[in-house]
Amino acid sequence: MPPSIHPVDLINALRSKHLTPAIVFLTSRRACDDAMQAFERSQVALPPARQQAIAAVLAELVTQYPSIAEHPLQSVVQRVGVAAHHAGHLPSWKIAIEELMRQGCLDAVFATTTLAAGVDFPARTVIITQSSVRKSRDFTDLTISEVQQLAGRAGRRGKDLVGFAVLTPSPYIDLGVITKGLTGQPEAIDSQFVISYPMILNLLKAHPLDQIQAILAKSFAQFQLNRRAEILENKLDLLHVQMEPYGPRICTDWISQWQVFDHARRQKAHRVQVKRHESPELTARLQFLTPGRVVGLPKGRGIILRQYRSKGQKQPMVTLLRPGGAVTECPASTVTQVFDKTFEMAEAPVYPWCAPASLDELIRQADDLPVRMPILPILVQEEPEESQIVQTLNDEFPCPTCPSRPACQKDHAVALKLRQEVHRNHKMIQALRTGLWHRFQSRTEVLQQLGYLTPACQLTEIGEWARLIRIDHSLLITELIRADAFSGIEPQVLAGIMSSIAHDDDRPGAFPRISPGLASLLGQVRHLAESLEPHEDPPLLRADIAAVTERWIGDPTLTWIGLCRLTTMAEGDIYRLLARTLEFLSQIHTLRETHPGLADCASRAIKVLRRGVLEELP
Amino acid sequence: MTTEELETLLEEQPVNRLHRLARGRIHRHFRLGKRRLIEALLRCTPENRPGLESDLQALMQEPLPAPPVAAKERRPAGPQPTRPGSPRSAHPVQAGSIESAEPATDLTSFLEGIGVPAPQPFVPDAWQEEAVARLTTGDVIVSVPTGSGKTYVALEATRRAIAADRTVIYTSPLKALSNTKFTEFSRLFGPDKVGILTGDRKDNAQAPLLIMTTEILRNLLYDAASGEIDVRLDTLGLVIMDESQYISDPERGVVWEETIIFCPAQAKLLLLSASIGNPQDVADWLTSIRPDPCHLIRHNRRTVPLRAGYLHPNGKLSPLFRSVGIPHGQGGALHPEAKRLFAQYEEETIRPRSR
Repeated sequence: MPPSIHPVDLINALRSKHLTPAIVFLTSRRACDDAMQAFERSQVALPPARQQAIAAVLAELVTQYPSIAEHPLQSVVQRVGVAAHHAGHLPSWKIAIEELMRQGCLDAVFATTTLAAGVDFPARTVIITQSSVRKSRDFTDLTISEVQQLAGRAGRRGKDLVGFAVLTPSPYIDLGVITKGLTGQPEAIDSQFVISYPMILNLLKAHPLDQIQAILAKSFAQFQLNRRAEILENKLDLLHVQMEPYGPRICTDWISQWQVFDHARRQKAHRVQVKRHESPELTARLQFLTPGRVVGLPKGRGIILRQYRSKGQKQPMVTLLRPGGAVTECPASTVTQVFDKTFEMAEAPVYPWCAPASLDELIRQADDLPVRMPILPILVQEEPEESQIVQTLNDEFPCPTCPSRPACQKDHAVALKLRQEVHRNHKMIQALRTGLWHRFQSRTEVLQQLGYLTPACQLTEIGEWARLIRIDHSLLITELIRADAFSGIEPQVLAGIMSSIAHDDDRPGAFPRISPGLASLLGQVRHLAESLEPHEDPPLLRADIAAVTERWIGDPTLTWIGLCRLTTMAEGDIYRLLARTLEFLSQIHTLRETHPGLADCASRAIKVLRRGVLEELP
Repeated sequence: MTTEELETLLEEQPVNRLHRLARGRIHRHFRLGKRRLIEALLRCTPENRPGLESDLQALMQEPLPAPPVAAKERRPAGPQPTRPGSPRSAHPVQAGSIESAEPATDLTSFLEGIGVPAPQPFVPDAWQEEAVARLTTGDVIVSVPTGSGKTYVALEATRRAIAADRTVIYTSPLKALSNTKFTEFSRLFGPDKVGILTGDRKDNAQAPLLIMTTEILRNLLYDAASGEIDVRLDTLGLVIMDESQYISDPERGVVWEETIIFCPAQAKLLLLSASIGNPQDVADWLTSIRPDPCHLIRHNRRTVPLRAGYLHPNGKLSPLFRSVGIPHGQGGALHPEAKRLFAQYEEETIRPRSR
């Protein structure tokens, strides 16, 4: 069985159940076009009467939109009564399909999910074949609102008694997402407020700086942030209530006081722990327990052969040569006396830790040690640090003797946690209340640095005209104008640059060659865009896209079909590219008072740009 | 209906019907008992009383689900109108593992009622009239399902504003939609009454109804704020923003906010939106920044009822849910047949790939 139903079978199944007209939402434009091709190859044909009805509607539309007449799919649509509707088509063709659908001439339309919002026609049935949609690079699951937006197209008011949302499985479907989308409550919407440079310039043009904060506070963003802040404030109130039993005690800020004291105490405890297993006496002695030294032991005496620390027992150990030649190991702490007497010996790295000759000598010496030997006076240093800590603890902190010490000790953990929570909430509320304003300020600083605003936040001469550019990448465009990048520019080069700034799709394709003038200017633009990167995300600046626009403007005799042949871009994409370029150019045109030459160039470009299919729609 | 009447009516309802009514209106309504539910319903809806009442009426039309005991008795003798030998009757127990109060609907009743309604004079719904009426006193947000007649509200409001000699601006998010609306409105109001503004072109800019994208309106408002006015904003009586759920669009949402913030005080705002989760928030926001209170109209009843189906790649159609319509909220159990077919589909497509 095929992974998904064949489009012709699908429409036949729907027809047999009287579920047409239908909108079939598919994953991609390619899928829509493939479905159309399947119909083109099939033997399906509508009865002549219906074919004539379609032809009549199309003929009527051609008078308004001449490009429909040349559309390659026209005859197929007429024969099979099915059409594709996606962003790759020209707007005029999409209008034609919508009109056919509205008049009930078509049985089905294959559309992409991505453009569900732009599909402004209902049908009896909506077919859903997928549960995810391509957003920028990867596929994400449809949200509940999106599923309802899709399913909502089903059921025409006044033409249907019921509408159907029919699911048909494909490898891209997750049943759970769709059923949840159909039965669930739509998601809450969130503000997506961003502070753009033109917004700042326009705000500061119309309002003094001290009113701006109030204006920003009117945004839905701030409204929602305030809502969140209010929730936090309620939480804060609750925390304050919980904090009540931990109010001031003998010292007002007993929590910090205890915290510092506790810290100091712990640090002291920590140091003692390190020293614990070595008494000061032993530490002092260790440096004298060198090989050859005669020491006293609880029973008898011995000569040190080596001193070491065993891994098993953490304490320092010594290897001793006892009278009679026995070699024994014992902890250094068992040494009772250290005599002021050492013998020469040759050390060795292995047992018995000294050279055989000197060992014999040592054994001899050990056997006849003098009865009395002078004891080495060793100065034992009391640890000064420890006493100091105890001293400071007692001096600086009243805690050890404070009457509320037990209570403080008991409550401290809870109180500290509460207080930290309070601080955190305070900070978050602060951030929520003033975040927008801070963002405004930081962007204002950028504009001041670049010279659009005076230090007093008034528009400079540059700012006065720069505020008229209210599109994406406005900073790049105004900086380009300031850098005189466009002086003496040809209309087609200007349009090419604008389209490469405007275009944000990275779909690859084959494109016409670019002129050297445009290429070098584009390099300059790219350089500037990179230098502005900390302040504004650089656009894609595709040279191939610029070339498409350049051709269209540079050669007024080029037909639409001719342009489409130059590239692999879909018609609808070229249309959108040119329409966006038009938008950018018309923004440049608004600068006619300050930059008459540039505005004139833009208006010339606009004039040439608006021809053929681009003239059909306002 | 007075509050007392409504209260007694609510008291007569079974509690699960009240929960359905409270869905989307009361936060965590499932936590409440019947008494508190009624109190909460009465408390939270002084603004939305008509919507609540109409929803209640609609709910009362629907029969209550039969108690489970009755269903068990009915099942063996069940009406089984399916064709003999259909696989569904072969596996009813295996597929329908979820115990449900009612037997799952069958294909015949699922497909029943397809057809064209008899032409009848257009009578606006209560909420549509309410929306238009409320526009005289303040802003209005309409958040209703797709295709339930938002355009009527826009048209009627426009007609009244034009009659009162005010200018109307209609904004849409997409140029394509602007064009469609331009054609539609020109047909309805006459071409001399409708103008369209784009970045570089003004067609009939003196017309009382102007259509533009939201970006263009934002730019107009900025120009007006800085004193370079070129459209008669002082006579502006109504701003209609279609598809206003775009306010949450990551790239363009900010434009909707700017437009609403700078919309002249004397102009009324009419926000048309698809169903969204928190229209009350948007309404509260508008109330907090606009001179007049904002009225919210919301419901999730569809004018044309919607059913969900499942079409198997072999052409077999089945209802998607056990009930004929689309169940709302949790617990919408899938139809056993759809479940079985989908399991079969997954078996056939996913298993070989992983091998």
